[in-house]
Amino acid sequence: MRPPSPSIPEKDFFFSALDQALRLDGRDFLEARPHSLSFGAELGHVECSLGKTRVLAQVDAKMVRPEPQRPFEGLISIHCELSPMASTEYEPGRQSDEEIALARMLDKIFRRSDTIDREALCILAGERVWHLRIAIHALADAGGLLDCASLACAAALRHFRRPDVEVVGANEVIVHPPALRAPVPLALHHTPYCITFACYRAAPEPSAAAAKGAGAGTVAGQTETAPRVLLDPAGLEHRLAQGMLHLALTPQRELAVVHKAGGLPLAPGVLMGAVQVAARRARELEAWLDVRVREDWVRKKVEVR
Amino acid sequence: MSSRIEILNEGGFRSDGRRQYELREMTFDSTAQAGADGSARVAHGLTEVLVSVFGPREARVRAQTLHDRASIHVEATIAPFSSTSDRRRRGRGDKRTLELAATIKATFEPVVQTSLYPRSQIDIFVHVLQQDGGVLQASINATTVALVNAGVPLADYVCAVTGGVHAAAPMLDLTSLEENDLPHVTVASMPRSGHLTLVSMETRLHVDRFEEILRLAGEAGPVIHKEMRAVVRQRTKDLLDGMGKGLRESNPAEAMIEDE
Amino acid sequence: MIIPFSSPPTLSSASRFGEDVSEGEDFYMNDGEDFEAERATITSPGESITSARAFMRGHGTYVDSDEVVASVAGIIERVNKLVTVRALRTRYNPEVGDLVIGRITEVRIVALACAIENNERRKVQPRRWKVDANARQDAVLMLSSVNLPGGVQRRKLESDELQMRSFFEEGDLLVAEVQAFFADGAMSLHTRSLKYGKLRNGQLVSVPPILIRRLKSHFCSLPSGVDLILGLNGYIWISKHVQDNEKEGEEGFDAEAVYSNQNDDIDDATRTAIARVSNIIRVLASRSVPITDAIVLEAYEWAVERDSDAKDLLLGDVADALIAAVTTKDELTEQW
Repeated sequence: MRPPSPSIPEKDFFFSALDQALRLDGRDFLEARPHSLSFGAELGHVECSLGKTRVLAQVDAKMVRPEPQRPFEGLISIHCELSPMASTEYEPGRQSDEEIALARMLDKIFRRSDTIDREALCILAGERVWHLRIAIHALADAGGLLDCASLACAAALRHFRRPDVEVVGANEVIVHPPALRAPVPLALHHTPYCITFACYRAAPEPSAAAAKGAGAGTVAGQTETAPRVLLDPAGLEHRLAQGMLHLALTPQRELAVVHKAGGLPLAPGVLMGAVQVAARRARELEAWLDVRVREDWVRKKVEVR
Repeated sequence: MSSRIEILNEGGFRSDGRRQYELREMTFDSTAQAGADGSARVAHGLTEVLVSVFGPREARVRAQTLHDRASIHVEATIAPFSSTSDRRRRGRGDKRTLELAATIKATFEPVVQTSLYPRSQIDIFVHVLQQDGGVLQASINATTVALVNAGVPLADYVCAVTGGVHAAAPMLDLTSLEENDLPHVTVASMPRSGHLTLVSMETRLHVDRFEEILRLAGEAGPVIHKEMRAVVRQRTKDLLDGMGKGLRESNPAEAMIEDE
Repeated sequence: MIIPFSSPPTLSSASRFGEDVSEGEDFYMNDGEDFEAERATITSPGESITSARAFMRGHGTYVDSDEVVASVAGIIERVNKLVTVRALRTRYNPEVGDLVIGRITEVRIVALACAIENNERRKVQPRRWKVDANARQDAVLMLSSVNLPGGVQRRKLESDELQMRSFFEEGDLLVAEVQAFFADGAMSLHTRSLKYGKLRNGQLVSVPPILIRRLKSHFCSLPSGVDLILGLNGYIWISKHVQDNEKEGEEGFDAEAVYSNQNDDIDDATRTAIARVSNIIRVLASRSVPITDAIVLEAYEWAVERDSDAKDLLLGDVADALIAAVTTKDELTEQW
C-alpha cells in the first residue's frame, strides 16, 4: 500500500509559500542543502548526507575472469538498496519502481558515461580483471536521494584504492596486501555529479514572486511567466514537483546525463539556465570533494619504519 | 570512442548520403490496427514502430484507478527480429523495455487531458518492429499520432527528434551506426509553445554543444509536426468525405441539423 | 543559418494534399464571421481556433493564453458563442435517452450473510450489473432498472437479488436506454420497456459510434425477415425478425422468453440474410459511411439484385461498387 499523497493543507501551504518565492526550509530557489561526508575505516566506504537524506556507498573489488567478448575490460556493477528504513514509502522485499529508476540513473551516470577506465582494471588479458562492485544503501530519504547517492558513489570511487598487483611470468598474479605496498587509486576519467531540479508552474500572479525572486534566487532566463525551478528539492518539494530535471555534469562543464522525462514542459532557455547553475555547482562539489578525500588519505597514511 | 566508419565525409555527407541537418524519410500509417481505438505505424528511415491505443475504457485493475483522472498504462515490446546486432528475446522484465515504457508514459501524462476521464484507463501498446537509431523518437511520434487517431484529447502534438554531435558538427536524426559512435540527445517538444517535455541524453557532451543541439532540435520539431499534422488532417478529411457521402443519401434536413 | 531539412517526396508529403486540408493556413475564426457558410473545417490538437474572449469553449477544446485551442482532431462546430471540436473517431459519448447495446461484464451480488447482517448496507450498495457499452467506463444496470418476472411494477425481493445471474450473466448482450449519469460520468442504463432486454437470434457488428445518427427509431425491420437494432454506441444487432404478435404483451410478461438463452430455429434463408446485412454494415463502416436504416435497406436491395454471395460483399471491388451504388444517388444536395 502506497502512502497517501500529501494532504490538501500541506499542498496549499507549500504552493502559497512558493507564490511568495519562499521554500519550506527557508532556502533560496537555487540553494542546495548542506552536504557532508564521513569516511569509514575501510577504503571505499563512504557515508554521505544531503540535508536529512543519508546514503552509504561501499566499493569493493575482486578478481574475476573477464567476459569473453571484452577480454581487456574490467567489470563494474552497481547495486542499490532502498529498504523501508529509509522512508515509509518503500516496501520491503520486492524491488520498487524507485529502486529500479535509481539503479538505472546511477548506471547511466557512472557506467555508461565511462567514468571509470575499464581497461585499467585489467590485470591479465582474458584471464584476470578487477570486478568493481558498488553498493548503495539508502539510510534515510528526505528527498534528493539520487543526488545524494551519486555524490556518495563519486566520493567512494575517489576514496577507494585497490591492492597493488604484479604479474609474474606468463600467468601468475601476486596481490600485494595494503600493509606491504600502498594500494592504487582507480583510474577515473572524470567525476560526474548529479544535480536535480524540481519545476513548478508559473505563479498565478507573477508580480509578487518576481519582485522577490528576481534577485539572487532565479535561474537565468527565468522571466515572470516562466516556471519556477528549485535546486535540490527536499521532502514535500520532491513529492509535489510538477516536473523533475536530473542533470549529471562533470566539473569540466560536460553533461553526462540529461534526464527530463515528461512533467512540466520547459522552454529551452529555462533548461539551459538550469544547466548553467548545475555546471557551477558541479565545480563547487568537485573542489569540496577533492579536499575531503585528500584530508582522509593524509590521515590514513602510515609511516613506514 | 573512435570509429573506423566515417561519420561525416569531407563533402559534408553522412554514411547514408544525408546532409548534417537532413531528416530521414518519415511515413505514417493510421490504418495499422483496426481493432484498436487508434493506432499508428511510424517509420523514420528504417526504424519502424507500431503503436495501438485502447481507451479511455474501464480500468482493468481496479486498484490502479484514479478518482480524478484517467490512468495511462504503457507497455512496450521490442521485437527480437528488430535489430541485426542483438537478436535476443526481451521479456517483460527487461530494463530497457521498461525504461522505454516509463519514458513514454511520463512524456504523455502531462499532455493527455486525463482529467476529462476519471476512473478510466488509457492503454498504449508500443511495438518496436525495426530499429535503426531513434527508437525513442519514433515511439513518441507514433504514440502522438495513435492518440490523436483515437480521439484522445491532447494539449498538443509531441514531436521528438534525435540530435548528435560529430567533431563539433551537430547532426539530426541519427541512424544506429551514428548513435553507437556519437553523443546523442532525444528531445520531444510541443510545437505550440516550443517547450520541451522530454530531454534525454546518456552520453557525455559539452554544455555548449548541448545547447546547440537543443536549439537545432527545437527547429526540427515543427518540421516533424508539419508532417504529422498533414497526415492527421488527411485522415480526418477522408473520414469526413465518407460521412459526407452518407449525408447526401439521407434526408437533407437532418443533415443540416447534424452540420450545425 | 539556413537549415535544409529534407522534404522527402513520400506518400506522406504534404504537397500532395488538397489546398484547404494540409498546407492551408490555420483556420482562425473571427467574431461575426459567417462561419456556417463555409465547408466543414478540419482542425487538430494544438491549433488555435478563435479568441477565448469572444467565444466559449466546448468539448474538444481548451483555453490557452486567451485563445480557444483544439485538443482533438476533427471538425469545428459552433452553436452561437459555443465552439466545440468533434472528433471523428472516439469512444461513445452517452446522452440520456440514447439507445445502446451492451455486454454484461460483471454481476455484483454481495454475499447473503452480509446482506442479512447489515440491512443498511444493502441500501447503500444496490445490486447491479456492469455493462460494456463502448464508452470510457462500463455502464451500470441496477437490479431496480430491469423488468422482473411477474409484472412490470413490483417490488424487488431478496430472492431476485439471489437469482440475478438467471436474468443476465456475464457475456449476455442486451439492448437498453441511458437513464442517468453518476457523478463520475458513468452511465446508468434501464431496460424497463418491452422493447429492451436480452438479445438473441442474431449477431453483433461493431462500428465507430459517430456513424450511428439519432433516428426516429433505432429498431427497424428489413423486408427479408431481419431485424436491425442500431445502438448509438456503435454496436449493431442483426437478428431474425420477431413477429409483433409473438412479442410478449404487457400482461403476459413471460420471463422465460425474455431472459431465455436459447436461440429460436433460424432457417437458412434468414441466416444468409443476416450475414448479408452484417457484411453490408461492415463495408459501409469501413468506408466511413453513416449507417441508417434507409442506406442499409438500399444496399441490401442492391446486393440481392446482384445475387451475389454474402461473403463476396467484403471483396474490394464489390464493396466499392456497393458504396458507389448507394452514395451517388443524389449529387444535388451536397452538404459538405
